[in-house]
Amino acid sequence: MSGNLKSLLFALALCIVCSLLLTAASSGLRPWQERNVLIDRHRNVLRAAGLLSVERDYSAADIERLYRERIRELQVDPVGRILERADSPKDAAGLPIYLSVAGEEILGYIVPIDARGLWGPIHAYLALERDGATVKGFAVYQHSETPGLGGEIEKRWFRDNWVGKKIVTREGQFVSVGIAKGRAEEAVSKEKQANYVDGISGATLTGKYLAAGIKDTLRRYEPVAVKFRKNLLTELGLPSPATLN
Amino acid sequence: MNGAVAKPWAVVKRTVAYKEILKALWKANPISKQILGICSALAVTVQMQTAIVMGLALTLVVACSNLIVSLLRASIPRNIRIIVQVAVIATLVIIADELLKAFMYDVSKQLSVFVGLIITNCIVLGRTEAYAMNNPPARAFLDGLANGLGYASVLVGVAFLRELLGSGRVLGYPVIPEALYQAGYVNNGLLVLAPGAFIMIGLFVWLEHTLLERK
Repeated sequence: MSGNLKSLLFALALCIVCSLLLTAASSGLRPWQERNVLIDRHRNVLRAAGLLSVERDYSAADIERLYRERIRELQVDPVGRILERADSPKDAAGLPIYLSVAGEEILGYIVPIDARGLWGPIHAYLALERDGATVKGFAVYQHSETPGLGGEIEKRWFRDNWVGKKIVTREGQFVSVGIAKGRAEEAVSKEKQANYVDGISGATLTGKYLAAGIKDTLRRYEPVAVKFRKNLLTELGLPSPATLN
Repeated sequence: MNGAVAKPWAVVKRTVAYKEILKALWKANPISKQILGICSALAVTVQMQTAIVMGLALTLVVACSNLIVSLLRASIPRNIRIIVQVAVIATLVIIADELLKAFMYDVSKQLSVFVGLIITNCIVLGRTEAYAMNNPPARAFLDGLANGLGYASVLVGVAFLRELLGSGRVLGYPVIPEALYQAGYVNNGLLVLAPGAFIMIGLFVWLEHTLLERK
């Protein structure tokens, strides 16, 4: 009995010491970790917007400077009007949207994608050109898919796959961008190829969930996209690019 | 008479510590001789950077958990000793993971789950149970260090060859001259994939066994 009691007391003491250590490590290091996460998000916003060259590495300071210069964070309401400048993108009232700018000119916009994955949520950014229809780029910044299969969604070949795809049909009907089973050239008919990217073999479900998540998100942003398509940025509350050109 | 001064190396060679370290690094290398820790060795050896960080993280964890377990060894109740060892290891691994997330975020993203999986790496529990439970702290620490480095050395060796032959780089820097590519040289894509790692590790195992047998 005294042996068992000793074991119990030892285990209890060990648990307390370990949990104190873990709490200290977790809360002590949080500021650094959160900064890293933020920079990683900014990096991926820039990457989706096609503002990063693949040739070089960017330091944290480079990323922050570029982000300040080239990206504007805004919020829009569900009918596509700009709410006042957003400090926190998590504000429940509006949809967060990022504008990619060069000086005063608006090059396009970026929407955050929160999709379901096979093993956990997938977080990404999808950038669209100023025409509100053409994909400028795509970048996943958080996922828990299987490395080598679903994990390929964060790889460069898959990202590059999205550039130039259309979220509307030739007639201008919203369809989002789907993920084909295998190569888009072989899997879908010719007129639909602009609306499909190549899929990942061995990761059919990841592709299915991701495509569904993107479609849901883009549907919510459709009022904004329509204004970009019709070049009615003044209605959005932004200066019209036509007047700037 | 003063052989100890004349041949300090010979004296070092006779110490227990030296023998233990040699054993961990070479004669009973965790990966190439004992075939332990293969899962992570396959996964993190595409690039040298991840292999080095993983090797260091594991070395630190084995050394510190050996040290702590050895310090506590007299008071750890026998019937819960494995639980105690795993708790110590798990705590250290989580701290290592948090540190990586705070200061080497990119590497930590690439290593993803594999840092957490150090907990289940047989090398760590193997050393604490087989060595630290029966040896004094300093020697246990050295044993952990040596075993960790034994693991890391194979990891880095495999990663060096995979990165060099698979992507033509060493530590991320291109080393294959452009002229060679123009002359028709191609990177071996197989080595970037998991089967490439299997083949590489197999070659290392073969090499070590052959060299040991020859002695």
